[in-house]
Amino acid sequence: MGKRTTEMLKGTLEGVVLAILAGQPAYGYEITAWLREQGFSDIAEGTVYALLVRVERRGLVDVAKVPSEKGPPRKVYSLNDQGREYLEEFWAAWRFLSERLEQLREGGR
Amino acid sequence: MLISKIIGDKRRYRQYRARVGRLPEDYRTAAEAIERYLMHFVPADNESAISEFEDLAELFERVASDGTPIREVVGDEPTEFAEEFARNYTKGGYVPDKERQRLLHGIERATGEREPG
Repeated sequence: MGKRTTEMLKGTLEGVVLAILAGQPAYGYEITAWLREQGFSDIAEGTVYALLVRVERRGLVDVAKVPSEKGPPRKVYSLNDQGREYLEEFWAAWRFLSERLEQLREGGR
Repeated sequence: MLISKIIGDKRRYRQYRARVGRLPEDYRTAAEAIERYLMHFVPADNESAISEFEDLAELFERVASDGTPIREVVGDEPTEFAEEFARNYTKGGYVPDKERQRLLHGIERATGEREPG
């Protein structure tokens, strides 16, 4: 994944993570692993963790602590109603942006 | 007092220090390098200050027990990760360049890319 892709992904990562959680609850590492499988190889696990802390503090996700074999309990995140609302807004913004960019690429205005 | 603004609740801060102290050495080195960097961001309030450290300890306890390589945690640009992390707890802050260098070197020591010292 190129530097430019990473830069462009940054602004959308919050929406991407919420969209993943809309599919099913997950813990931090699962989200990072999924992103890497999709080719976003430069994503640091810590960055995803920081992002999850943020969406938790903003009340967009619910958190369940699940005991793990070793280490602290894993925090499993799931999207709540407020998060779903936020995700709708994110997709609307994304639609707007991608339509405009596509028009620009095709030389329209 | 300014110090409590930066570290928050002293008792919880001591507990945080103890948790970091129990980490395997490399993870401890990395966590301490990040902690030092985070000290330059003034948190929004005492609760933000202490939960910032507690969240940092939790992240490192998790990745240490999973055996996740430090580079996979902090990425190629640890300052970006740390700033992203700090943004959750602060309303603004200032980091001098020498502190950026210190964090980068701390991570390089932790990952064995640089001699200790």
